[in-house]
This record gives sequence, structure tokens and C-alpha cells, in this order.
Amino acid sequence: MSQPLKCSLCEEAATVHLSQVVQGKVTKVHLCEACAQKGGATDPAIFQLADALIAPAVAPSLICPHCGFTDIDFRKRGRLGCPDCWKTFGDALGGLLIKVQHEATHVGRAPVGVAPVGQLRHRLEVARTEMEVAIAAEDFEGAARLRDEIAQLELQLRHS
Amino acid sequence: MSVQDILSAENELTHMLGAQQAVVLSTRIRLARNLDGMPFPGWAKVPQRKEIAERCVEALNRSPKFRRGHVLRMGELTDLDRAVLVERHLVSKELASGKFGAAVISKDQTCSVMINEEDHLRIQVVKAGWHLRGTWNIAEQLDDALGPDLKFAFSEKLGYLTACPTNVGTGLRASAMVHLPGLCLAGHMEKVSRALSQDGLAVRGWLGEGTEAAGNIFQISNQQTLGLSEDAILRHLGGWIKNVVEQEWNARRKLATEEGDKFVDRLSRSLGVLRYARLLTSAESMNMLSHLRLACDMGCLPEERRHIVDRLMIEGQPAHVQMRQGGELDSDGRDLRRASVVREALREFPEPGPPTA
Repeated sequence: MSQPLKCSLCEEAATVHLSQVVQGKVTKVHLCEACAQKGGATDPAIFQLADALIAPAVAPSLICPHCGFTDIDFRKRGRLGCPDCWKTFGDALGGLLIKVQHEATHVGRAPVGVAPVGQLRHRLEVARTEMEVAIAAEDFEGAARLRDEIAQLELQLRHS
Repeated sequence: MSVQDILSAENELTHMLGAQQAVVLSTRIRLARNLDGMPFPGWAKVPQRKEIAERCVEALNRSPKFRRGHVLRMGELTDLDRAVLVERHLVSKELASGKFGAAVISKDQTCSVMINEEDHLRIQVVKAGWHLRGTWNIAEQLDDALGPDLKFAFSEKLGYLTACPTNVGTGLRASAMVHLPGLCLAGHMEKVSRALSQDGLAVRGWLGEGTEAAGNIFQISNQQTLGLSEDAILRHLGGWIKNVVEQEWNARRKLATEEGDKFVDRLSRSLGVLRYARLLTSAESMNMLSHLRLACDMGCLPEERRHIVDRLMIEGQPAHVQMRQGGELDSDGRDLRRASVVREALREFPEPGPPTA
């Protein structure tokens, strides 16, 4: 039995099939119901989007110099080839990261010996807000403590 | 060291060595880590995968946490061995299905590291009961101990670099295995599950991704790994688990009060079936054992019997039953063997009384 066509945007089974003929050139787009509704199946922009997604299937537009992994491989597997791939594909994956992670920057721990810059910056932001709150509440003891912490964080960040 | 040794060794989850708890069966922390400069396992060539495995096993062997532990190479194990490890949550289905994966398991089985799964390393720590901070502290120490030796791939902007964008950043998946018969019996589970997923938590069945919630057991975990600190991830999960535990207790007490005799009848019938059945399927035994666990939590059965129920939930799984028998069994053979294991273990169980909790 033949495999059902997959949606050009999300890999679900496609139930909406569109064909566009422009100057004799036929473009076909297959969408699942959800993507068809979201994207507006009548919107011509869907063809451009689908073009961008389908086109690299012929020739990869991004290749990791370290391991030879391409954007086509990513589309097939949903996983990257090596840690260095993040340098090559990082920008292209920005939208996807926001979609699955809602954020694009690390604010957590770092390996031993590496300054946890993201964590320090994040704490600095929080401490600054907390200091403002403390001052507004006339909690000067708390504000002084936070001022010292901020100075310490700024120093650590300068040296990292 | 064989898989059999792991099964026969006493550990927190099967022998009540850790503090058992009514609702939360276990707490788990998982960290995804990769070696800098090496292709991820799914893209690496065979010699590279072997090299990765060797480097990781060597580093883990040097760590005091894994002294006198177990090193298991998937390619050297039988299908049944691997299936048992999956049922124990010591390795994932994905690791078990590949030839070049390995698992290093600490002697007490609280720490296990999967090598060559989706990432080079998946560091896991599991504690019985609800101990989010304690479990996290062990994982953090392990991470720090292994890091200098293995040089993890890390970027200032994206954090720990992983094969899949869903793990990048902290690489942290924190989860609780929870037993929610009250919410399930009251028909509230779907609502709870929806609320959790709307707030960024994943709810899965007993064996993780894509499995059914046999025995009213669910795994609740964070989804976001980037843009949140480890502390924020733990606090978010911790807050929700506290809330779910509270709701579960409310549902249980309400059921016990409103149903009265019907409540105890249900638990007693389950004990009856488990004690006298000659054939028990995995799903049936899980659901009945869930009732017995509820009975222990509610004071209908003595609380100190709970660990026997917990052990039967683990040992009643298909691969465990076959391992105990000493070889592969067909489905009927498993049901027969499972029933006899359960019957034997529950022979001395008293009759359930009215709830006291």
C-alpha cells in the first residue's frame, strides 16, 4: 500500500491538496487540515512557504563544515548531526526554538571552569528589579544587600 | 555483572529502602550531555560510536558514584535482558534497540547513564518518593564530576548542545512518577492533564512516551529546557506536583466519603481477583494493584504492605515475568506465571477495612 502524502509543513497526513499553475509551471502543495486552516489554503503565500521548504530537497542550502550534515537531513530526522551543527543551523532554527522552547537564550548552569554567563546575566536582571522594589518599599537594608550582589555580578561578568 | 544481578539486588524502588510515599512513586532527573567535537550518535559512523562509548565508559568507571556498578553493552545482551532494563526504566526503548548503546548503572541503581542514545550521555538519577532537590543535587554533582573529564559541548548562548532542539539549554528533564487513582476514578484526569500541558508540562504513561497509563500511573515532566534556569524548572515542576498531590488526596477522600461501602468493595474485589486468579494479564494486574496501593494509602490495608504492591507492579511486567521463569514465554504462559507470582505475594494480605486516612 502506498504511504499517504505528508503535509508539506508538519509531517501529518495531508488531506488538502493544492495545485498552482504559474506560466505553465505546476506547483503542488499537500497540507493537513490544521495547517490548511491556519495558513489559509487560499492564501498564495502558502506556495512560497512550501516552495522554501520543498526546494532544498533538491540541493541543500546549509551544510555543517564539521560533519557534513545538511538542512535536508534535519528535515528528515528532526535531530542535528553534531554539536557544531548549532553554529551552522542556529539561525535557521531560531523560529523552531521559539516555537518549542518559547525562549532562545540559555540562562542555566555551565560546565565546571566555564563562566555561567547566561545565569549571571539573568540573576543581574532579577537583582536589579528586586532592588527597585526594595527601594520603593523603603527596605534600605535589603536594597544595600542587592546593590552589593549587583556589583559582584557585574564584576564576575566583566571577568568572564 | 549480568542483568540478573541487577534484578536480584535490593534497591529503593522495589525493597522500600527509600521513603515510600502515597502519591509520588519516584522522582527522576535526566541531563542530556554531549562530547565536544563528536557527531551525535544518530549521525556518527560505527567507529565513532564505539569511540564515544569507550570514552564515556572510561570516565564513568573513574567516578566514585559508579564504583562496583554495572557496565552493560546493549550489543552483548539478549532481547529479554534489554526488555527488562526498559521495564526498570534503567534504559530507554531507543537505547535498547541499538547495538552500540551502553548503560552504566551505579550499585544502588539510583544513578544510571545511557551512552549513545539520542545524545552521547543521558545522566539519570532516580529516587523513590518525592525528593526533587535531593535527586537534583546528585545529578548536579555527577555532571560536575564528569564534565572536566569529558568536555561537554556548550555554547554561551544556547547552553548544553543536544541532538534535538527540544533538549538544548539545560538538557534537563525533571519528572515525577505519580499514582493518581483518585483523579482517574473521579473522571478528572483529562482535565488535570490538560491544565498541566497548557502550563508547559508533559503527562505520559508509566513507560514514558507513547505508552498508556497502566495502573493509573503517570509521568509528569517539564518540557522547556531553554531560557529557564535549572532552579526555575524545578520550582515550576515542584509547584505543580504539590498541587496534583493535593488534588489527588481531595479526590480520594471525596470518593471514600461519598461511596462508602462501594469504595471498600472495589478495593476488596481487586484483592480477591489478584489472590485467586489463575491467569492475569499485565493490564488487569496493574489496574487491580493500583486499587491495592490506594487501599494501603487510605488505611484500608496496613501501610507497610505498600512496598509489596509496588514490587509486584514492577515484577509483573512481561519481561520481568519471563526473566523470573528463566526464559521466553508466550502470552498465556506469562499470564499464568504472573498470576502465580501475585497470588504467592498476596497470600498473607488481610481483608481491607474501612478507610482511616
